[in-house]
Amino acid sequence: MRLIFAAALAAVLAGPALADPSQGVFGSTDKAAAQRGLLVYQTVCAACHALGAVHYRDLEALGLSPDQVAGFAAGIKMQDGQPATLDDVFRDPGMGAAAFGGAVPPDLSGIVAQRAGGVAYVDGVLTGYAAAPAGVTLLPAHYYNTMYPGGQIAMPNVLRDHAVTYADGTPATAAQEAADVTAFLDWTADPNLDARHEIGVRAVMFLVFMSGVAIAAKRRVWREVV
Amino acid sequence: MSTEVKPSWTASWLPFISNWQTGLAAPVLVKEAPYLAILPWLVSVGVIFLTLSGLVLAVYYSPAHAFESIQFIDRNVHNGWLVQSFHETGASMVFGAAYLALLRGLWVRGYKAPFAAVWIWRMAIFGLLLIAGWIGFTLSGGAMADWSLTRAAQAALLLTGAPGAFGTWFFGGPNGAGTLPRMLVFHLILGVLVLGGVAAANSARKAVTPVPPRGAVAFHPYYTTQYFVALSVFALIFAVLVFFAPRFGQPFLNLVPADPLVVPAKLLFPWYLAPLSGLGSLLPGIYGGIIGVVGGLGVLFALPWLDRSGPNYRPGALYKFLTLVLALDVLGLGWAASTSSGLGSVLVMVFGFWYFLHFLVLTPLVTAMEAE
Amino acid sequence: MAETALDAVGHGTQSRREFLHILTIATGAVGAAAVLWPLVDALGPDADSDAAGHMIVNVAAIAENTAMTVTWNGLPVYIRKLTAKQIADNEFVVPGSLPDPAGYTDRVKPGYESFVVVVGLNTGTPCELEGNDPSDPRGPYDGWLCPCDGSVYDPLGRVRSGPAKKNLAIPHFTFLNNAQIQFG
Repeated sequence: MRLIFAAALAAVLAGPALADPSQGVFGSTDKAAAQRGLLVYQTVCAACHALGAVHYRDLEALGLSPDQVAGFAAGIKMQDGQPATLDDVFRDPGMGAAAFGGAVPPDLSGIVAQRAGGVAYVDGVLTGYAAAPAGVTLLPAHYYNTMYPGGQIAMPNVLRDHAVTYADGTPATAAQEAADVTAFLDWTADPNLDARHEIGVRAVMFLVFMSGVAIAAKRRVWREVV
Repeated sequence: MSTEVKPSWTASWLPFISNWQTGLAAPVLVKEAPYLAILPWLVSVGVIFLTLSGLVLAVYYSPAHAFESIQFIDRNVHNGWLVQSFHETGASMVFGAAYLALLRGLWVRGYKAPFAAVWIWRMAIFGLLLIAGWIGFTLSGGAMADWSLTRAAQAALLLTGAPGAFGTWFFGGPNGAGTLPRMLVFHLILGVLVLGGVAAANSARKAVTPVPPRGAVAFHPYYTTQYFVALSVFALIFAVLVFFAPRFGQPFLNLVPADPLVVPAKLLFPWYLAPLSGLGSLLPGIYGGIIGVVGGLGVLFALPWLDRSGPNYRPGALYKFLTLVLALDVLGLGWAASTSSGLGSVLVMVFGFWYFLHFLVLTPLVTAMEAE
Repeated sequence: MAETALDAVGHGTQSRREFLHILTIATGAVGAAAVLWPLVDALGPDADSDAAGHMIVNVAAIAENTAMTVTWNGLPVYIRKLTAKQIADNEFVVPGSLPDPAGYTDRVKPGYESFVVVVGLNTGTPCELEGNDPSDPRGPYDGWLCPCDGSVYDPLGRVRSGPAKKNLAIPHFTFLNNAQIQFG
């Protein structure tokens, strides 16, 4: 019986290491990529997509200073005409389904966690546009995408080379932009990843120590009984 | 000279504490009880922890905006993500301990007289935990949770007679604005009922546990130290999951907010509800589902009577082997109920059939055989 | 001698056992505190409450001689832009001559002297004041007037006459730049 439970214990401890790596079992947020992705997001994606779970003030977690974030937000005009403040939620484009030909673009706050394949899927959709192969008739206002289930997506290919100019000098190819905006969306889906891993390492080390102390105490007490 | 001992202040003001301390020091326990007997206690500790974390979540949770309020907790409450993970992963830990306790109970035949009453109370706790776990799942406001609640409420409305009356009362009509607020209250009530069940099971156990004639030990320090080891290992596994695999065993599609206009292709549950959902899909229709779920738990309640062995306690090799097969069967049932492939639906039938075969046919036969 | 040697061994194990005892309890206590701390901390103010307490307001759009009203911590706050005449009339009033002495520099922030930020509640009978709009009755000093008990305030929020005895309260705030005020 002990063997079985020891095996179960080992499986539980090892299991997370074998889990889907795109959800970040180990690892941390790539802040530099996420900052670049924020620029891509604001330039290209924010026109159509909402990011309703994120406030502008949350961007400080990406390594930006409060002044930088305030300046970034001040450049965005909200629905009421006022510039955005730090405590506003990311601007919702607020356009109905009619403006998009029937399908409202999904809120991207959690998109990386909501799709099978996570980061690989989102990056794949952004870079997966191709000419429709022979025999495939595109629906009106749809585009062919190799990653999207069914192959036909209502979103046009929005990433172009040099659509943005990165502050850190990274060349802004379409593939780079896709990778960076995916890193940004990975962060929005799981903003607590870094804190979680940091605390987690310390918690696990402490609990290993506590288990050791507990085993020593128990053996000491039981030695005097038997 | 009088040698009166002044009663301690707890004896006068909080007698339950001084009674508890006396109980801890009373030498009434057998020596060297196995670690695995601590599993039911880990379930109770887990439930208390779920109550604490659940109360903190309830401060910020809004049943009218379920998904958004949980996002708010995760992103805007200080350490909210940790409290939410405590609760969600804590539920997984409680069920993990409960399933293992159940397995161990089957292995050592913990339901044999005079422990039948203890077994029934523990099975009642397990049933209440499953209902509370399902309601907690619906409270998450995700696409899977909302669809599960919608289907359950619809099914309840289609029942007739007494089950129909109960179902309509429980859900209060189809899944709408008023459903989650009542689910929240039921979730809290079930937590209280589970703690009551734990108290009942504990008192039933103490009533039938004999005091060893010699060499008895007190709970403190012999079992306080052993329980602390068990708690430390339990906490270690919990920490690994909370910090490195927080979405362990949860359907990722439940992270999509509920939308009544979008129906998931397949209804997926957290891992601890998957085996029961598999049993519920064995027979067609609403009544088939009810028979599967109630029957699946009912055979566990009926074990003291399904087991045909006599006063001889020791389980034989065949019984142990079949118990292990049952454990693998339940794991397979949970896995098969969670896959979308055609193979999955076939395997659900196979594993579900074996589950009922094990309890209704094999258990009476094998235990009667081994008793000779 | 043998006794003392044995005693020494006995004492050794005794103190080791007590050390382990204390270590176990201390470790358990640290673990319990560490797991309970997030539960307690989460009950404190959340990020939105923190934000509401440190609200940022855009003041660039306020026209001279008008005031904007915002709500902060449940209180109405008036942010008013003074005209040059209002500043000139009030800059050199002797504080001692006022019911509640206060100088010009006590009422405005250095570098932003044309903005007055006050809690818009009469300090006599609690009541919201009139005077934010140029067409409101403002009293003889072109400041604010209380419609409930007739208290009169000047444009800097200092009480000039009436049942009220104290100047309008000034909330805690700072100018982040020419265009933004942060409260709290």
